Amino acid sequence: MRWILFFGALIGTSICGREKFFGDQVFRINARNGDEISKLSQLVNSDNFKLNVWQSPSTFGRPVDVLVPSVSLQLVKSFLASQGLNYSVTIEDLQIYREMDSIAADFPDLASRVRIGHSFENRPLYVLKFSTREGERRPAIWLNAGIHSREWISQATAIWTARKIVSDYQKYPAITSILERMDIFLLPVANPDGYVYSQTKNRFWRKTRSLNPGSPCIGTDANRNWNASFAGKGASDNPCSEVYHGPHPNSEVEVKSVVDFIQKHGNFKCFIDLHSYSQLLLYPYGYTVKKAPDADELDVVAKRAAKALASLSGTEYQVGPTATTIYPASGSSPDWAYDNGIKYAFTFELRDTGHYGFLLPASQIIPTAEETWLGLRTIMEHVRDHLY
Amino acid sequence: MQPRRQPPPAPRPRGNCPGAPLLALLLLLVLRGAAAAPAGPQDPRRPQDAGLSRGLLQQAARAALHFLNFRAGSPSALRALAAVQEGRASVNPKEGCKVDLVFSTERYNSEEGEEHLGNCSARVFFKTQKPRPAINVTCTRLLGKRKRQQEDYLLYKQMKQLKTPVDVVSIPDSHGHIDPSLKPIWDLAFLGSSYVMWEKTTQFLHYYLAQLTSVKQWKTDDDEIDFDYTVLLHEFSTQEIIPCRIHLVWYPGKPLKVKYHCQELQTPEEASGTEEG
Repeated sequence: MRWILFFGALIGTSICGREKFFGDQVFRINARNGDEISKLSQLVNSDNFKLNVWQSPSTFGRPVDVLVPSVSLQLVKSFLASQGLNYSVTIEDLQIYREMDSIAADFPDLASRVRIGHSFENRPLYVLKFSTREGERRPAIWLNAGIHSREWISQATAIWTARKIVSDYQKYPAITSILERMDIFLLPVANPDGYVYSQTKNRFWRKTRSLNPGSPCIGTDANRNWNASFAGKGASDNPCSEVYHGPHPNSEVEVKSVVDFIQKHGNFKCFIDLHSYSQLLLYPYGYTVKKAPDADELDVVAKRAAKALASLSGTEYQVGPTATTIYPASGSSPDWAYDNGIKYAFTFELRDTGHYGFLLPASQIIPTAEETWLGLRTIMEHVRDHLY
Repeated sequence: MQPRRQPPPAPRPRGNCPGAPLLALLLLLVLRGAAAAPAGPQDPRRPQDAGLSRGLLQQAARAALHFLNFRAGSPSALRALAAVQEGRASVNPKEGCKVDLVFSTERYNSEEGEEHLGNCSARVFFKTQKPRPAINVTCTRLLGKRKRQQEDYLLYKQMKQLKTPVDVVSIPDSHGHIDPSLKPIWDLAFLGSSYVMWEKTTQFLHYYLAQLTSVKQWKTDDDEIDFDYTVLLHEFSTQEIIPCRIHLVWYPGKPLKVKYHCQELQTPEEASGTEEG
């Protein structure tokens, strides 16, 4: 019993005050004999691990599915290894998808979860559609997040925003009037393969996980893969580079799925892409320093949005065209959207400015999401009032 | 740790400094040399030039700060960039790019509500030939000398009391958490990394310290702290994550000694250096 107390003590302290981390996994554990069944039962019944059993251990031969919180992953793995228990990981990172499902279930008249395609490793690409009118192809807003998997504040902000939209509808005038005129589509995890990889293998993984024939290096920068000055400045033709643009535009199925959906819909007016970090609010172009035709208007909107964002906690964002405010980048999603008639195209680079960088503490998730919401809402209000 | 107070957007370089049109032309010459600049005539009054020059000033400020932090050799007096106030640049295509600037700083480890801003003026020379930028920088004090010595010595004592943290992996962890008892190690790692980031910063590339990934050695039996560790640097604008092995020796009040070796994943050459502050 000593081993269970030891592990329990270790995990207990880390679970106390646990916040909502993504990265829970489902372990399928095989117990081969009575002794293993009994060890497994003790593990599962112990309060300290906070494990959730999906299928109970009864007889051996039948595998047991156990939901392991992300904070316990290492310890449970060590425990299983030390006891010689066989296991495999079945579902990885289901928390965001479950939350999306739950939102759609809680607000069936407003929200629905739509599958728009799949990733390279065959994970579903789920979008939440917020619509107050069935059957119409209304002017729409696309919110994109998590295209660069290591920017975890992006996916987190997106899923928080989804809850915010459904919770505030019909309670607050701004979002209510926006949804009375337009639909909102939200893709919280645009790069699910990369996201899972960043949680399980390499925290700083950025690209997709597609294979590059002839190269040992994996993945394409999904935000250099769009058909907007593809393979221009600010992208690389080296598969080992973090900004590798891929073999051709839309080579990444994650990108193609979004392109196809938006083009088929044909009535998008706004495209917003969430990234981290640097605290910037950017508009086209990234692929050239030439001024975009609508740059003046976009600058006004962006400044207004940055001001609204700052009003909450004083977080300051710099505003400007991508190429000169951050760096040149070709083949990016907002540039593609803009060149395809979606005038209100913006990129948010969320908190912080380099102190924690990608490793933004969980305690900053909600403050970031709350202030970002004010910026997003400002943009959406402007779109609502300037439909074209 | 509280989210840091963020700097206001950097203002454009002063228009009334002599030869402002010439300045714009010189800046254009700088940027023509950069991969980023498009070919063709440019109107000096177009907004993107102000943006490009603001970027250059920020690069210079970052380089100056890394150098300042390294030279101070004090983990309790680390500074972060608050805002670039003003500056100008001149370029000699053979030699490189010289930037004169004024910027404000705040404490890297600023407490809630603390609003101490220091002012710095610097000359940063991004050389074409030798890799690292030459820097002259002076700043107003953020911390009194006595207070700084006390805080450094306090940190030093905390470090001496730490059990060898060689099994330490990933500070901060994936969720940005740093155990308070390990914070002094992080500060010292950041101090050593400042030397590396100073040497590597150019007018086009800058760095942030992403993570401390391992402690190879932590010796405190002699007077000095002997610290051998690896970090990951995040490189803008290539977005690469660069592992660097750093070995430093520190004692409060003494110049910091640093040796390092970074893995250059893209280019064939590897970068390393050694210095006594």
